[in-house]
Amino acid sequence: MLPRFSSRKAKTKREAVTYLAELEQSVLLAGGTDLLVRMKRGEGHRYLIDISSIPELHLAVAEGSRILIGAATTHSQIGIDPLIRNSARSLAEAAAGIGSPQVRNMGTIGGNLANASPCAESIPPLLVHDARLTIESSRGERVEELEQFITGPYRTTLTGKEMLSTIRAARLEGYREGYRRVAKRAAWAVSRLGIAWAIKEAEDRFLDVRLAIGSCTPGPFRARNAEALLKGRRREREVVEEAVKLCLDGIRHMSGERPSFIYKLPVIRDLLRAILNNRL
Amino acid sequence: MFVGRDLERVDAAAKVAGRAAFAYDLKKEEMLFACVFRSDRPHARIRQIDTREALSLPGLARILSAKDIPGKNLFGAIRKDQPFLADGAIRFRGEPLLVVVAKNEEVARRACALIRVDYDEIAPILSPADAESSPLHLHKNGNLLSNRVVRKGDIDKGFGEADVIVEHTYSTQWIDHAFLETEAGIGYPDEQGRVVIESSTQNVHYKRAEVARLLGIPEERVRVIQATTGGGFGGKLDVTVEGFLALAVHHLQRPVLMRYTREESFLANTKRHPLHIEYKTGARKDGTLTAVKVKVIGDTGAYASYGETVCLRAAVHATGPYEVPHVHADSRMFYTNNLPSGAMRGFGIPQLAFAHESQIDEIASLLSLDPLEIRMKNCLKKGSLTATSQVLSASAGLLETLKKVEPFWRQRRKKEEGSGFGLGCMYYGIGNTAVPNPARAQVELAEDGRIILHTGVCEIGQGSDTVLLQILLDALGMQPPNVILDRGDTDTSQDAGSTSASRQTYISGRAVYEAAGKMREFLERRGYYQGKDLREIYREAEGQQPLRFDGFFDPPTTGLDRETGQGAPYATYGFATHMTEVRVEEATGACRVKRVHASHDVGKGINPILIKGQVQGGISMGIGFALLEEFIPGETTSFDGYYLPTSMDMPDIEVLLVEDPEPTGPYGAKGVGEPALIPQAASIVNAIRDAVNVKVYELPCDVERLKILLERKEKR
Amino acid sequence: MNPIAFTLNGKVVTSEVEDHELLLDTLRERFGLKSVKEACSIGECGACTVLIDDEPHYACLTLATKVEGHDVKTVEYLGDKGKLHPLQESFIRHGAVQCGYCTPGMLLVAYNLLLKNRQPTEEQIREALSGNLCRCTGYIQIVEAIQDAPPLF
Repeated sequence: MLPRFSSRKAKTKREAVTYLAELEQSVLLAGGTDLLVRMKRGEGHRYLIDISSIPELHLAVAEGSRILIGAATTHSQIGIDPLIRNSARSLAEAAAGIGSPQVRNMGTIGGNLANASPCAESIPPLLVHDARLTIESSRGERVEELEQFITGPYRTTLTGKEMLSTIRAARLEGYREGYRRVAKRAAWAVSRLGIAWAIKEAEDRFLDVRLAIGSCTPGPFRARNAEALLKGRRREREVVEEAVKLCLDGIRHMSGERPSFIYKLPVIRDLLRAILNNRL
Repeated sequence: MFVGRDLERVDAAAKVAGRAAFAYDLKKEEMLFACVFRSDRPHARIRQIDTREALSLPGLARILSAKDIPGKNLFGAIRKDQPFLADGAIRFRGEPLLVVVAKNEEVARRACALIRVDYDEIAPILSPADAESSPLHLHKNGNLLSNRVVRKGDIDKGFGEADVIVEHTYSTQWIDHAFLETEAGIGYPDEQGRVVIESSTQNVHYKRAEVARLLGIPEERVRVIQATTGGGFGGKLDVTVEGFLALAVHHLQRPVLMRYTREESFLANTKRHPLHIEYKTGARKDGTLTAVKVKVIGDTGAYASYGETVCLRAAVHATGPYEVPHVHADSRMFYTNNLPSGAMRGFGIPQLAFAHESQIDEIASLLSLDPLEIRMKNCLKKGSLTATSQVLSASAGLLETLKKVEPFWRQRRKKEEGSGFGLGCMYYGIGNTAVPNPARAQVELAEDGRIILHTGVCEIGQGSDTVLLQILLDALGMQPPNVILDRGDTDTSQDAGSTSASRQTYISGRAVYEAAGKMREFLERRGYYQGKDLREIYREAEGQQPLRFDGFFDPPTTGLDRETGQGAPYATYGFATHMTEVRVEEATGACRVKRVHASHDVGKGINPILIKGQVQGGISMGIGFALLEEFIPGETTSFDGYYLPTSMDMPDIEVLLVEDPEPTGPYGAKGVGEPALIPQAASIVNAIRDAVNVKVYELPCDVERLKILLERKEKR
Repeated sequence: MNPIAFTLNGKVVTSEVEDHELLLDTLRERFGLKSVKEACSIGECGACTVLIDDEPHYACLTLATKVEGHDVKTVEYLGDKGKLHPLQESFIRHGAVQCGYCTPGMLLVAYNLLLKNRQPTEEQIREALSGNLCRCTGYIQIVEAIQDAPPLF
């Protein structure tokens, strides 16, 4: 049972942002898998604005060096989209494992980002792909890097009058790419740890390494220090160890020491070793 | 022949069509909705309750409290120490205070949110250790609910004879039943003004008795009918909604519907006892067990529920399915201000099996013996003496189950990094422990020529409806269209006891067989088997003699000596061996269960496909118990924090049945409902040790805990 | 109140629903389709699974207004006691039903899978079912029932 509220169905982006501007205590509804649960648990809103059937928000198309993804594209759609599977594989792999099949049919990439759980699984792959977000309101639009968009656990820069409309992810060609989650059961579980990677290498040399880790830090984490170390280096044991250490240091630097690190950091260490050595 | 066939379930068609009526699907004219207002403190006295704001809500019908109980405000499966509605004392967070009745669920729950209570809080007792030492008594009889012992032989002599001794402490977590259908029911007055309750339940006659006591009326003025029940596992044996519904119907004289939310079920319904087990095993160097000393301490929570049963079963089964000459078992259950622990599939034995199977594997390892062989060497057989010195006279097929698994065990090969194999064995007494627990059944010839089976047995998904009919059909030599089932209605059936302790196939099955035997004799005399029509037989006999025949069976058991626990607590036992293959991913601590070979001695497989379903379901529950599930009072609210296995967590399973006939069982059958689960977690833990050389002493061994254990091992 | 029109179990239907009304309650209360079960209300168990445009969704987290113009199927679409769908018959044959509470959701997910994949592998079946909990069966016989079901067309 939900608390009472009024709802509107937006047919276009313009309608959606107009509703947001004009209706007090309104909130956007896409899939509902986060919002409706929160409302059942006490969160109150006067108006729900349903944006799930706005055509402009459902798309995945190539635009130059980027892929444009509409915010209301579902995880199911992202998981099977050929463009995303080819040029942003880690995102497709992450999306294909979020929640359950039903949750993937309902939940959206925009909802995942706007909810901004530290465990949101769209985040690491999008960090690896230098995602840029377009945010619209009745006043116009703005563009923001994903790393700036999320400011803390469940906090974004969205004002109550703004709508995340598009995600632009950099296309990566010639990278070995993937996503790995660690969770308490084999399917349908909150990610306790998620690693996205895209690695370009030639013979035994790292050319470009991109690593992002989810569910470990209060905000988005890309292992830039480790990436910088690896760039151009040969794949050797000491190099990999040094990179792993930099990554773990970076996590500790951002989060401080957390009780969960007693198992999370060793897992990251062991998975990173496997990823960098192409054993995963 | 129907016994031994994979007969299709008689209730399956309605269930696949979506037409099976569960309690919350029922509807009556002028129906109201009731919900329970519960305490949000674990230990308190009620100073004042303010319901004024709630009462003023439009659509609010009535708010009922302990003062509105005309009869006795106490219930309990064994000891009646639990109030239906708290009257002063609050002993757990979630304890019911009031029943709120309104025109619909929305108003009822909104009213609950408006009720204000002033509590005088008392420091809660949250562990058995605290309970033992605290001067504060939660009940008149103190904080120790129960202490049961088993003493066999001379324990010091036994350890004296041992070449190796292994001693460890094991601990297990609270587990939720997590039946898919939450507690629900509907109550209404019938034309005679009686109170009728249709609920999701594992028993009907017991519920009728409790409702009658609550209302202070004779049992004949109450009728309880089992609605289609979506799982029980022990969580629907105690009174859940029935008392609240009866009280509401009594006062309002209208139909009332009730259902628990999932959060409510997690918060307030009984749980599997978390146990602390100190286990000491002694063995000779050839692997023969000489001594077992076990101390079990359990948190039974605020009220007794089935705590005494779990206490006793734990002591009786503590050695595991092995012949041990010297036994010292001590089992204690303490009251605390945690929520009540109660009956949950296996009554303490899944927890004990985790301990006794880990112990015997460690003994094997110290002595360089094969884990299968050490079990074969010590396993109970026909002629063995159990820990309570009962001689197993028949149907003791554990060795057969080990032999069924043996070829797979001998062929095992670690195919990849992190592969491991483990064994788990168990035995389990079928039926209630050392007390009478009879079942009655009646078989009746109806005017239209059909045979009606009247039984109080509750079908909770395990298949009793079908199995009892199969027994009836073979006993009478008839075909399915000839018989109909009338079950789970106190008006038309006699007490069959609860669907619990894996007892219904064995006990009610035998009662049905007995009743059918009498009907068969009658039909033989009347010429049915020579071709006479049943309707004619009815016409000829009607008025001359009753056409209902009673069956009765109470398993032959004895009580147990209070000082030594010696006696014959069960007439028959289930036996099983599970062999589990796991793959542990050392990088992450993830343990995947790959394959299980599960062999069960069921006496006689009345319906093999149903038995396989039970074993597969039991394995699923065992995986949850070992690796995934953990209820933490005050923290776990619903399935987002309590992980049941999904289809992706399941292994390949092969079920291998052994039939060592039980002479007192119908066609030789015993029971399998709980045995299906009992050895599974134990076999997983042993497989983990084989895979990564990590010893698990605490459940659940989830992904995080296993990684921590792996790290600790690396550091050493 | 919102008037909505949608296809329900093959027929076009209309209803008036509240803004905050959940599809679960609309189907159970306004259309009497009691096969759609509520078992957790937060999309964590699958018992409320329905097909929207033939894809599995959790009705407990779907607003009724969302299905305007769409196709909704519950297990009543497959068949009823009078004449069962071959998929339902396969469930019965394989012992895939115990308490029955998860069964409607399982059947709908199976139906959707077989619509998209004529001969799914065991792995694909398990994955398709991974959003539906069952506490009784351990899923094995459900998977076998789906493997053994004849193609939908």
